[in-house]
Amino acid sequence: MTARAPVLSPSVTPLRAEFGAAITRHVVSCGDTIVHVDRERAHDVLAWLKDAPGQEFNYLTDITAVEYRDPERPLQVVWQLRSLGRKADLRVKVELDQAGPLEVRSVWDLWRGADWLEREVYDMFGIVFAGHPDLRRILMWETYAEGYPLRKNFPLRGHFSRSEQTRQALAANPEAHYSLEELSIAEAYQELPADMRARLARGERGFLK
Amino acid sequence: MGLTNPATEYRGADSGTTVTSVSPNWVTTRLDFLTNWARSNSLWPMPFGTACCAIEYMATAASRFDIARFGMERQSFSPRQADVLICAGRLPFKLAPVIRRIWDQMPQPKWSISMGACASTGGIFDNYSMVQGIDTIIPVDVYVPGCPPRPEGLIYGIRLLQKKIMGESIDNDMLREEHPVGPSGLFLPAERVDELSEPFGNSVSQTRST
Repeated sequence: MTARAPVLSPSVTPLRAEFGAAITRHVVSCGDTIVHVDRERAHDVLAWLKDAPGQEFNYLTDITAVEYRDPERPLQVVWQLRSLGRKADLRVKVELDQAGPLEVRSVWDLWRGADWLEREVYDMFGIVFAGHPDLRRILMWETYAEGYPLRKNFPLRGHFSRSEQTRQALAANPEAHYSLEELSIAEAYQELPADMRARLARGERGFLK
Repeated sequence: MGLTNPATEYRGADSGTTVTSVSPNWVTTRLDFLTNWARSNSLWPMPFGTACCAIEYMATAASRFDIARFGMERQSFSPRQADVLICAGRLPFKLAPVIRRIWDQMPQPKWSISMGACASTGGIFDNYSMVQGIDTIIPVDVYVPGCPPRPEGLIYGIRLLQKKIMGESIDNDMLREEHPVGPSGLFLPAERVDELSEPFGNSVSQTRST
């Protein structure tokens, strides 16, 4: 099996024409094209890639994030896009400075599948997706207090001692893992953290389509 | 030892004669033996399968190995009709309150089997998310080693548990008295949980940063 030829995605040229300086750079790695985008314009770029004729990246394969061992290097948020009709892939990245706020706009309004993917990135890296309807932990439990496990400053076994971890785990309500809508009518309501109760009271996540 | 039917026991003991003065419709036994015999041969397992060990557990329950031969005919998917909790697979901290609640829902007398390396010690998952042995959450009667254990291994563990049950007595306090230690909600002292969760093998070289 031979290595794939470094073929530049045909989407890059129209992307640069449309967004100019917002496309900071692009690279071809292992046959995949990676486009680095300015944080402020990321949502516009992704919306354009989804809807523009000739692009039609209608399938969001994955959202993930990368933190490098070098503490100076920024975190990256990665969107892996797929055009089911054109059988084409594109990877879009945004860099988030470690010192700045770890926040990007949610793409939940473009691809509904982003819902749990963004929750997972938030759970593991602490990156906030502004505009997400129900951004809360998905793998760890709601009251998990040790931080964000995939960050480089997170020790493998967690921050707390095993007995403290066990105590906190046993203190968790095993029924407190439902959606906000289910929780608002559940017996576990009083067990929720105060900020979640406040969000419920505000009526956040008020709709399903 | 065991169940004795005098009608058959003495037949032929004296050659050519049969004891007919006793009815064949009664037996003598010890109460302990009778209850333990009944309990150990009608263990209803509550399968708590979380990982690949559960596949081996299914194989154990299926026709080739067939734990129904040992009285585990009925898989009890309700903890309230179960006698033995079999934790087959790794237990993340998120499931710790779940297995604790299932254990609390099981009626006395009850036993538990920790199946596989992960349930017994945390196995290779010495990380932030995994319980380092379910004995920090619930009491365990039999540990079955293996990754995963073969069905023969689990059956051996079940036979050991049956042996253990046969040794119980009404005199002994075989009902488990369990209370949280202090206000912590833990069922073992905190230092005991830390001791049980100590890293071992290759993972001792990975230090915990505080």
